[in-house]
Amino acid sequence: MKSLYCRIRYGQPVILVSGLPRSGTSMLMQMLEKGGMPIVSDQIRTADEDNPKGYHELERVKELDKTTEKDWLKDHRGQVIKIISFLLQDLPMDLNYKVIFMRRNLDEVLRSQNKMLERNGEKGTDASDEKMRRNYELHLRKVYYRLNRTPNFRPLYLDYAEVVADPHHEAGRICEFLGRDMDVKTMATAVQSGLYRNRHSKTARA
Amino acid sequence: MFGTKVKVEKSLYNKIKMYSDIAGYSSVEEFVHHALEKEIEQFEGADSEEEIREKLKGLGYIS
Repeated sequence: MKSLYCRIRYGQPVILVSGLPRSGTSMLMQMLEKGGMPIVSDQIRTADEDNPKGYHELERVKELDKTTEKDWLKDHRGQVIKIISFLLQDLPMDLNYKVIFMRRNLDEVLRSQNKMLERNGEKGTDASDEKMRRNYELHLRKVYYRLNRTPNFRPLYLDYAEVVADPHHEAGRICEFLGRDMDVKTMATAVQSGLYRNRHSKTARA
Repeated sequence: MFGTKVKVEKSLYNKIKMYSDIAGYSSVEEFVHHALEKEIEQFEGADSEEEIREKLKGLGYIS
């Protein structure tokens, strides 16, 4: 009931692509772009070895936790914005959001993040991988709680390994969720299993 | 003390009462308050949030 009220009151939702960094959110953005969805990106962060097809980011999003100026999001109803899971808690609650949330094995995520830090010559944190794994597990539990219980959010959960294994099927799920008739065949071409690096031998969903 | 009431089963209440006495709490309320605060602390985990923030900053995903 609250969810219906939010939809009526706040109108068309902003579409968010979210997940932990290095969980496959950029790939998801490419799928949506190929499907013809309007993507909001400033192209400031350009493609590199870690993301050969680009990041599809908006720098403004990265400051959501530091500002009260968030009205600009209202100009992006019906458009797609990438936002890492950590910043979902900083979104204004006078909007509706459809959230496509990518889940990926945490060992793969950590391995990929560590490689990226190494390449960029950054340290990140002193916490061990084991500690970070626990941090992320707890963080994700909070995120799922918020996504599933806040009427402003409507989530769709995707699993990275499943998207890579059957992109056509997962593209179909995205279309159904967004209520759009997009070309799933073209969307699926954004997925290249060759880019599935840092694969974990036993895939357990995060 | 005023506040929101939470119902618990009688058998659990008896245990809480017994252990709050044993542990030397001045009242059942004080014991329950302390136990719940300790439990919530591990979920709020300010340290873990800061570690995530540092990592994400290093990766360039937050400013």
